[in-house]
Amino acid sequence: MNFEETQNFKIESASLKEVRVFAREVFKKSSIFEKHTDDLVLALAEAAQNIVKHGYNNHPTEDEMKIVIKYNDNVLSMELMDKGKPVVPSNIKPRDLDDIKAGGLGTFFIGQIMDEVVFKTTKVNWVNHLILTKSF
Amino acid sequence: MSYKVTEENNVATVFLNGEIDMDVTEKAKEVIMPLIEAKKEVHLNLKDVEYMDSSGISVLIESHQQASELGTKVILKEISKSVLKVIMMAKLEQILNLD
Repeated sequence: MNFEETQNFKIESASLKEVRVFAREVFKKSSIFEKHTDDLVLALAEAAQNIVKHGYNNHPTEDEMKIVIKYNDNVLSMELMDKGKPVVPSNIKPRDLDDIKAGGLGTFFIGQIMDEVVFKTTKVNWVNHLILTKSF
Repeated sequence: MSYKVTEENNVATVFLNGEIDMDVTEKAKEVIMPLIEAKKEVHLNLKDVEYMDSSGISVLIESHQQASELGTKVILKEISKSVLKVIMMAKLEQILNLD
């Protein structure tokens, strides 16, 4: 079973709940996601949160982010596109676990849950294009 | 997120309910921090918290640290399965006070 679902969201913290609802609906499509749904929803929501928090510094904007969830040949990919501040991948660092502070936890969670986290710059009309993948 | 606070002697129990994400962290801090600043022992009852992300975990970390600085403590009570999973993913089960 392959699928592709897309939805746009406002760039604001209130959208994060909608992102989770969208993802949960998509993951109902197959029982193979059942055990992983909470983790996958968390990873996607953390990535969306990073856009709101870091891409736009939580400032109001008319921009939207686009989320695409695809499943092809046993690989799940969750793509997030936005027009916020350009991400410099080398600047993204997960939290050092010995350093007990809040920052970087979301990125750490994404890395723990997903197999691969890649920023691409090839998408026309968008500034940032993050692709999270996991094989099943 | 909704909440209820009960107080008995020097212990304040905050019953949190719903989903704790970036959208509600300020509200959560506004409830918890004054209790810590009043040097109460704060019990956070998390049995009805269905979802917590890194922002929610940040509230737990900041509350724990603030309490330590002020000579009191925050204890997490009846932690829901989904919240416990995130706490463990963050490897904070040995740092935060879990009951």
